[in-house]
Amino acid sequence: MKHLPKHLRPRYRYLAVELASTPDASLSRRSFQRELWYAAGNLLGDPGSADADCTVVRFEFSDGAGEAIVRARHGHADAARAALACVASVDGHDLGVVVRGISGTIRACEEKYLGRPRQPSAQRTVAFEGGEVPAVERNGVLDVRVDDRYVGATNTDFE
Amino acid sequence: MYEAVHAHPDGDATVARYARTAASYGFDGVVVRNHGDARTEYDAGRIREETGIDVVRGMEIRAEDPSQASGYVGNYRGDHTLLLVHGGTNAMNRFAVEQDRVDVLAHPMRDDGDVNHVLAKAAVENGVRLEFDLSRVCRLSGGGRVQALRGLTKLAELVDQFDVPYVVSVDPTSHLHLRAPRELAAVGETIGLGAKRIREGLAEWGRLADRNRERQSESFIEPGVRRGRYEEVDR
Repeated sequence: MKHLPKHLRPRYRYLAVELASTPDASLSRRSFQRELWYAAGNLLGDPGSADADCTVVRFEFSDGAGEAIVRARHGHADAARAALACVASVDGHDLGVVVRGISGTIRACEEKYLGRPRQPSAQRTVAFEGGEVPAVERNGVLDVRVDDRYVGATNTDFE
Repeated sequence: MYEAVHAHPDGDATVARYARTAASYGFDGVVVRNHGDARTEYDAGRIREETGIDVVRGMEIRAEDPSQASGYVGNYRGDHTLLLVHGGTNAMNRFAVEQDRVDVLAHPMRDDGDVNHVLAKAAVENGVRLEFDLSRVCRLSGGGRVQALRGLTKLAELVDQFDVPYVVSVDPTSHLHLRAPRELAAVGETIGLGAKRIREGLAEWGRLADRNRERQSESFIEPGVRRGRYEEVDR
C-alpha cells in the first residue's frame, strides 16, 4: 500500500530503556517484547495498549545487562513508561527496567541516552558469609552466587 | 526522593548495591527496612561517599501479636532512625496506628489487613504514616493485582478524607525490583493514585528521616526546645 503523506503519519516517541538482570539471564527481543505487551495489556487494557503501541524497535542484551528502544504513540509515552515499570521478570529472571530518556527519533534516542561503554564481565571468587563463593563482576558491581540465586553486591562490600 | 528496601539477608542485594542502583535511578536516599529477624550490617558513611545516597537506618518490626511488637518497639526505637511495623492483620494495623513511637505502618492492606476510619483517625493523631505498597502492582498481574489495587484505592479514599500522612514504596527485595520515581509516578497516574501523590509519598521518607534525626540528636530536648550556643558571660 502506498505510504501515508508525512503530515498524516502517526507521531512517535522513542523511549531509551536500560535493562538489568542476573548474569545467567539470556533475553531475546522476542521474549522482552512479549512480556512488555503482556504488561501493557494487563495494566492499560486492550484499548490503552493499542494507543501506547510499545513496540520494541532496538534490542541488545548480553551478560545480564542490555538496552532497548521502545516506541510509543505521541501523547501516550507515560502510559508506555508505566507498562515498562510493570515488566517484573522475563523467562523467570527478575528484570530491572529504567527509562533513560525519551526522543522523537530513534537516532537521537540512541545518541543521547544509549550506548554507554560497558566492561566485559569477569569471574571472581569472593568471601561471602563465611564461605568462598563464585561471583560475576562488571563495572564495580558483583552478582554473588548464593545457593541457587544471585545476590547483588558492589566492590565496597568486599574491601 | 527515597525508597525503602529489604537488604540481604532479607532480600537479594546488599545496601551498597541498592544505593548504587538508586543513585542511577535518581533517588536521594534509601531506607533500610530489614525485618527484625534478618538484620544487616553496612557502612552508611562510606556508601554515601561513593554514591551520594543517604542511607537511613530503619527496621520493619514483624511480630506475632501486639504485645510482642510493643516489646520490639521499646527495644529498637532508640537506635533506629525509622521504625516500621509489618502490617497485614487487623490486630497489627491497629497496634501500629495507636503507637506514636512508630513511624510507618507498612503495607496495611496486604493479606487479611484492612484500614477503616477509626484507624485512619488514630494514624493522624499519632503521626503514623500509612504506606502505599506498590509491590503487587508492579510485580503481579491478574487476581493478586486486582486485590492490591482495590486496597490502594480504599486507602487513598481514607487518606484524602482524613488527611492521613503517607509514604509510597515498591517494597523491593532485590535491586532489580527498584523503579525510578518517574516510572512510579506514571504507574500511579495509570492506576488512579495520581503522580503527585507518588512523588509526595517517596519524598515523605526523607522528611521523616530528617525529623527523626533531629529529634535523636543531642541538642534536641523537646519540640521547640533545643540546646543552643550561648555567649560566655563575664562575671
